Amino acid sequence: MNRTIDTDTRALRTNRFSAIMNSVGVYAIALLFLLLGMLLQGVGVINNFMTTQNLMNIVDAVALLGIVAAGMAFITYSGHYADMSVPTTIALTGIVSVELLRFGFFFAMAGAILCGILIGLINGIVVGKFKANPIIWTLAMNYVSLGIIRFVWVNKQIYPDVITDNVRAVMLFDNIYRFRLFNVLSLPLILMLILVAAGQFILKRTPYGAQLKLTGSARRTARFTGINVEMIVASAYVISAFTTTVAGLAITSLSRVGAWYNGAGYDFRAVTAIVIGGMTLAGGRGSIVGVLGGTLVIGLMNNIMTLLGIGTFSQDIIRGAIFILVVGINAKTLRSQGRDDA
Amino acid sequence: MKRQVRMLFLVMVLLVSTAVLFAQGGKATGPSAADAAANLEASLKVDTSVLKAADGQPLLKLSADVPKIPTRPANPEALPDTNPLRWFDMEYAGWDAQKTNIPASPKSGAIGKRITFIVHGDHPWTTACSLGAQKVADAYGIQLKVLSPNWDLAVQNQMIDQAINERPDMLLLIPLDATTAVQQARRVNQAGIPLILFNTLPTAEAMNYAITWTGPDDFGQMRKLARVFADELRARNPGAKELGIAYVQHAPGGSPYFARSYGPVSELAGYAPEVVTLDMQAPGFEADRTMQLVSDWLTRFGPRLKGIFAADDSAQALGIAEALKKAGRADVVVVAAGNSKIGMDMVTDGSLFAITYQTAEGDGALAVQTAADWFNGKELPNRRNLPQHIITKKDVADFYPPQW
Amino acid sequence: MHNKPMDKSKLLAIGDRFRIYILFLVIFIFMSLFAPRFFNSYNLTTILRTVSMNATLALGFSVVMICGHLDLSIGRTATFAAVIALLLQKSVGYGLSVPIAIAAGVLVGLVNGLLVVKVKINSFIVTIGTMTILQGATYTMTGGNSVSLSGSNVFAISDFLSRPLLPMLPPRVILTILFVLLFHFFVTHTQWGRNFYLLGGNKMTAWLAGIHTDAVTVSAFILSSTMAAVGGILFAMESSAATLNMGENSLMYVVSATIIGGTAMSGGKGGVLKSVIAILSLEMLYTGTILFGLGNEVKIFISGLILAFVVLYEAYASYKHERTLGQRSELLKEVAMLKARVPK
Repeated sequence: MNRTIDTDTRALRTNRFSAIMNSVGVYAIALLFLLLGMLLQGVGVINNFMTTQNLMNIVDAVALLGIVAAGMAFITYSGHYADMSVPTTIALTGIVSVELLRFGFFFAMAGAILCGILIGLINGIVVGKFKANPIIWTLAMNYVSLGIIRFVWVNKQIYPDVITDNVRAVMLFDNIYRFRLFNVLSLPLILMLILVAAGQFILKRTPYGAQLKLTGSARRTARFTGINVEMIVASAYVISAFTTTVAGLAITSLSRVGAWYNGAGYDFRAVTAIVIGGMTLAGGRGSIVGVLGGTLVIGLMNNIMTLLGIGTFSQDIIRGAIFILVVGINAKTLRSQGRDDA
Repeated sequence: MKRQVRMLFLVMVLLVSTAVLFAQGGKATGPSAADAAANLEASLKVDTSVLKAADGQPLLKLSADVPKIPTRPANPEALPDTNPLRWFDMEYAGWDAQKTNIPASPKSGAIGKRITFIVHGDHPWTTACSLGAQKVADAYGIQLKVLSPNWDLAVQNQMIDQAINERPDMLLLIPLDATTAVQQARRVNQAGIPLILFNTLPTAEAMNYAITWTGPDDFGQMRKLARVFADELRARNPGAKELGIAYVQHAPGGSPYFARSYGPVSELAGYAPEVVTLDMQAPGFEADRTMQLVSDWLTRFGPRLKGIFAADDSAQALGIAEALKKAGRADVVVVAAGNSKIGMDMVTDGSLFAITYQTAEGDGALAVQTAADWFNGKELPNRRNLPQHIITKKDVADFYPPQW
Repeated sequence: MHNKPMDKSKLLAIGDRFRIYILFLVIFIFMSLFAPRFFNSYNLTTILRTVSMNATLALGFSVVMICGHLDLSIGRTATFAAVIALLLQKSVGYGLSVPIAIAAGVLVGLVNGLLVVKVKINSFIVTIGTMTILQGATYTMTGGNSVSLSGSNVFAISDFLSRPLLPMLPPRVILTILFVLLFHFFVTHTQWGRNFYLLGGNKMTAWLAGIHTDAVTVSAFILSSTMAAVGGILFAMESSAATLNMGENSLMYVVSATIIGGTAMSGGKGGVLKSVIAILSLEMLYTGTILFGLGNEVKIFISGLILAFVVLYEAYASYKHERTLGQRSELLKEVAMLKARVPK
């Protein structure tokens, strides 16, 4: 009997330890990259690395990715791997917002967000209630939304300033990406910070977060404790779709065009950020702050590689290798702590 | 017993209908030889020079500049990237094609001919291109069948095979890739169907099997843009000993990847030796990734970076403009290849200095026109280039409204 | 009379089991009757030629999925191997370059498999990583240009591969059919092949049954990337050229087809033959849309709907199954039957 209790407390302790490790671990990697950058600057291989401008550039560049990842992390946390419908959710909400711009800016925003949430809801119900395989279903959903865009808009891409003569609406739309608070903080960056903070708060400080954690780590148990797991999972998808929509609006604003190809690649990139950020696909582990760390690591890595003058092709190889390395180390650490990773 | 007889009967019916249907496929439809002369006469009277593209420019215009073709070096690939002759095989592909098994013109006029028009994939550019082709086809009363393989090589091969099966009077093809065009062209050639390649410049070998090629001379256009670029760099930095520039490249795997970076590199090596290439990267066609790349360049090179040459005038150009605005670097000269609405808007507001005139409608129109010329028995050169022009703030207004 | 309801449910079960064959027949008959120029030997050969690459890729991919894993790197592996085969052909000829390229494919699978079973990273993550690495490697090897070959002997090989040897069957199609039959036999009639199902169905049980689960998983990944390599190489040999994005469209295609064919990611279900039939069905559908003169938007829309419907249907079926779990419907039926027999 005693032994069981002993094991239990140990498990609790390692839990707390690895919870800290999970969020700090990725920042250790980020710090490592920062130190590497400083070292390279010290040696004189690269310059201007440790400048406010450069560091701001790095965060600016990954702001959109951070927004997507912060929401998608909820799905990973709930034990459902990833949301592969992100690319066309970005494209669809973007093209819908441009199309609706003719009725005014706020109508367009509301319409796009509604459209995004609808996608999230469908995903959530199918995966949460009917337990479809999350990757396969969201891939199918990605295909369906692509079909809808292509079917409705045929092969067109639509421009805000062609859709409407409302100069103010076009101007506001253009500024979703381009607005800068005090001429320093860009709107996507602000949004990312708000969403990360809100996400972290929801995940760690609310009963909902606790329920999501239990659902993610042990769905059956969660169900027996009376948690409405269907609702919990569905809500994770809605949250993901919402942040994806926010990113979609920003991307569409940046590229000044609503088109089916907007957002390509954001699915895999967000997964990369989430997994580097210490969230494991087994669910219930990691934190949104960790995901922010993962996003920053990607930004730092890209920045240093470009500053070093590494070519596009080699960058791919290095990026893939570092990704596998980080995830591998993470999996090993978790295992050595007795917390096996799926 | 009765059931078995019925079954047997059903199988027989199926077999017979199968045989009948099978026999229908792959047969040639004979040309209506009787009216050939009348058709030719009427066809020659059609005037397509009055047609206009959506931007108000004439739809059909041939390049005025006849390129001077240098002699091919023994091994171009051994030359340095900065030597224009290093790119000989890509730039001058097809001028000296050894035409094989090319069908002779029937000289039966273009009216009522069936043409299959296979593009590379769906894109607003392609829509405009097909529209231009349709305009010329309508003028001649040509039945145009447009097919798009959605950027999938296997599907394009399939479409070519289907076209061979349908035996149109002519096949017009944008090869998805310069190298795979060889086998595609050979297949069509061996099936005895007249073929004209357009838009994407294939390898020299593919040209042997096609009547001709029409489209933009990407290398030539980029060389022109590079000169305009260098002139502006010099004007903005008078007396500078070094002018550092960087290239945002096209996606790897096709001729634009080379034409739109090594075209200007090799041109500027001779025209403006003080222009130095600082870096080249291919971030894809995403504004945010391009923005990060350019921001990183600005960090790395600082004031040394005087200009950026981009392979795309929409997403890439927008990313560049954002990065420059953030860093307060209005002095950097940016030029881009392409002729999109976004690019023209950016030339108008000054965030791009120059773009290239690339008529999408004209591209499709020229291909169909060339097909009509062949039916009319006209002598055709081995290549027909689209006109070259660099659009700057001075004349950008002439090109509105945009084609796509 | 009394066993009629049972017949109905049996019929449904059979229908479900063979649904991909039914779908195949329905599409085939519909297209043959209505699509212009669909039903003739030339067009059918074209369809077979077109599916060759994706069918080859689907074989290995299905095995990985039966094991309950994903291999997202198949498309890139196909390109990678094709590029190696053609680049080396220039110096050593196909005789040596093809085996080397296939070996490269085996290596990719080995790395994927070992990372999954030894480092215990989720296959979804591992293959995203290898996908990125392979892209970089392919670009580096080629300097960003597609690889092409020319010369009469190269063309002779590609012509041989693409021209019908038997009626309607060019050697490349014959090869593909051989691969399909071989794989079908392998997974249904050999112990090792059946282990894939056991492993996918329940890893713990498989392990307890004495199956070397790690070896089986690694072999599945090796099969997947080897077949990807073979498919890519054959495609490149037929076109005498390898483009840098030739495998890009295959991934989504193969994934959809495998699922529509009835292989579920929960593992232990489905079969390689079904995946290939699904690919054929999709291809006939696509060909039909082209022949009807419809655009790609229709094709994407329809195939998206089919995929979504299949996934939804499967999920709903297992959802219903789970809800009725523990209810002995056959006992209930027996009781009802007994009741009916009892004379009033």
